[in-house]
This record gives sequence, C-alpha cells and structure tokens, in this order.
Amino acid sequence: MSSAQLFHEQTARQRLASLVDPGSFTEFLPPPERVMSPYLPQLDIPVSFDDGLVIGRAKIGGKTVYLAAQVGQFVGGSVGEVHGAKLTGILKAAARDGIPCVFIVESGGVRLHEGSSGEIAISEAMRAVFECRAKRVPTIAVIGSDIGAYGGMGILTTCCDFRIMTEHGRLGISGPIVIEKWMGKQAYDSSNRALVWKTSGGKTKFLLGDADMLAGDDAASVTAAIKKLLAKSSPLTLKGLKARQQELEKRLKTFGKTSDPDAIWNALGIKNVAEASLASATEFAALAKKK
Amino acid sequence: MEKFDKTFPSKPLAWPRGKQWALAGVVGSGNLEVLFERNPKAPGKMDCHVESSIPGYKDSWLAALGDFAANYPVGGTKVTIHDQGADPIVVTFRLRQAYDHLKKTS
Repeated sequence: MSSAQLFHEQTARQRLASLVDPGSFTEFLPPPERVMSPYLPQLDIPVSFDDGLVIGRAKIGGKTVYLAAQVGQFVGGSVGEVHGAKLTGILKAAARDGIPCVFIVESGGVRLHEGSSGEIAISEAMRAVFECRAKRVPTIAVIGSDIGAYGGMGILTTCCDFRIMTEHGRLGISGPIVIEKWMGKQAYDSSNRALVWKTSGGKTKFLLGDADMLAGDDAASVTAAIKKLLAKSSPLTLKGLKARQQELEKRLKTFGKTSDPDAIWNALGIKNVAEASLASATEFAALAKKK
Repeated sequence: MEKFDKTFPSKPLAWPRGKQWALAGVVGSGNLEVLFERNPKAPGKMDCHVESSIPGYKDSWLAALGDFAANYPVGGTKVTIHDQGADPIVVTFRLRQAYDHLKKTS
C-alpha cells in the first residue's frame, strides 16, 4: 500500500493499512467470520463480509489505537444494524480500555433499507462516543472522501473530540441533493460542485472551526494529523457546550443571510479566494492563520 | 439475485504459513468482493460460492472461474464471491488480486 496513493481514492482497507505502523493492524470480526446484514438478502441486495465497516486494533507512532473505517462503495457506507453494532463495539472497547478511537468516515448515514434498526444502531454509537468522552478517551474522525459524513454519521462525527478533514471531505446533515429537493434549485444547486464544496467541504469546515485540522490528500499527511491529536482530548462540559452554542448563534447572525460562500471565506480571513481554493492543506492553513 | 456453488479441479496451492484468508475488491456498482479461504480437505479443488445481484449470467461465471482454476494453482481454496454487476474482466482481475494478496509475504 503506497502512501503516495491519494487518500480519497483508497479503499477502507488500504487506508487502514497505510495510516498505521506497518503490519500492526489486527482486524476484529474479519471477513471469514461473515457477520453480515440479515436484511439486505430479503431485499435482494448483495451483502458484504464486513457489512461496510472494517474495525480493529493497530499502532500509530507506537501508540495503540482502535480503528474503524467505512467502505463508502458498499451501500454508500451506510450504517445498518451490524455495521452500527461494530461501530458501537469498538467505541465501547475504547472507553473500557482507555485506548483512543480513530474513525475513517465515508458514509451517507443510516442505511434506510434497515429502517429503525439502523437508526437505533447509530444512536447507540453516539452514546458510546459520549461514554469515551466522559472518560476523556480521545475520539477522532477523519473525513477524506467526497461521500463524506452525512446524516447520522455527520452527527456522530461532530460528537467526537476532533475532526480531521481533507479538501475532498464533506461534512453535513442533509446532503446537497436533499437540500436542493427541499429548497429548490435556485436556493441550492447540487450540481454546482464549487458551491457544494464551499458550503460543506473540508476547507470551509476548517475555516469555520467545525474541522480541527486540514490534512493533505495522502495517508502520511492524515497520519501526521492523527498523531498530533492522539495525546489530546476535548473535555465535554456544560460551560463548553454553552460557549459552542453562542459561537453557533453568532455564526447564524453573521452569515445567516449570506448567499455567497466566497463572502464567508473573505469574512473568515481569506483575502484571495481563487488562490486559497487551489492552495494545499498546509498553504491553506497558513492563509487562514490557523495552526 | 443468483446464487450457486461449483467445484473446479485445480493444482494445489502452497498456502503461505500463517495465512488463512485473503480478500480483494468491494461490493459496489460494477464491482465485487472475492474471499479466498484455506480448505485443506480438498487440496486439488477450488470450491466456489457465488452470489450475484444480476441473474442470468451463470455460464459466464463458470467460464471465468473455470479459466482461473485452470490457469492458477488454487487447489485447497474455498472462494466466496459477493457480486454487484462486475463484468467478467473485473471478476478475473479480482480473483488474480486475491491470489496476489495471498502470495505476498507481508
């Protein structure tokens, strides 16, 4: 697995192999165990050995971590009952053992084919994130592909201590097509890629502070970002939540009536939007005057 | 969905020590996943189980799998496939890829 390969083009298994110390990954519930969706066959949809989620233990920079990587190509990386149970399981193990948990997120959210089971699964996973946070066990989400983190996975991702994004990553609740269907094409044109990425893409989320770090589109760059965050945890306090609420209210007040994402970039300190759009992750962080 | 099992004769595969399985591909549109598992009970045979989202192509499957079993020594292997509309060239490629994953020593 060459680390020169672009992160957004890698499969979940390739990402895991290239992020961790070479050969250190041990998979939990590997493919021969065949822990698969009981619902998809009833709907005549093919199943996958790992139900679209690869979980396990590995070392990053010599430090033990638990990892989960979603397979975006399999039913949109969606969270079904089994997928969600694996996600919850790895988080509960992290909380129990005091070992940081890293997610490579690539998911449209709940697997609607599995209805309430999928919804419940993702809620259980969220509760498990808070179990980790209550014990100050770091939870880190990495979003580095255009499937991004949407729906329930968008929420779960924002529940974590930290988020690392690349410029290919997207983060949101409703996806662009859903917003367009709801608000109309004049309000939000989902075929306008520049608009979509300027509202939900990695660079914008980093500027807004929703993503803590912006990494380059390669495994080495993502690993470096993970290493920086592994030692930290972000305490979850009432005071912190209130401060966050105030920030969001301020954001709504400042940008609520803005329809031009470039104006938001300008207001957040990016003078030359065209230059910043083409800038690498490191250059962009410098332009945004963030570390 | 179309599901079937078929066994092909094949020269025995020397499984690397410590390896029990190898996986190639993902279940996505026009793609498939192929799992190789060690099957010491049948050293001269490749046992296949195929599940495909597109029915009606069993003859093509048997031709692709038969060619692979004849061209590569994969006896003593159980092959399980989850397919979402891959064409035969992709099937052949994934089989070869799973074989390569097995033979790699890392």
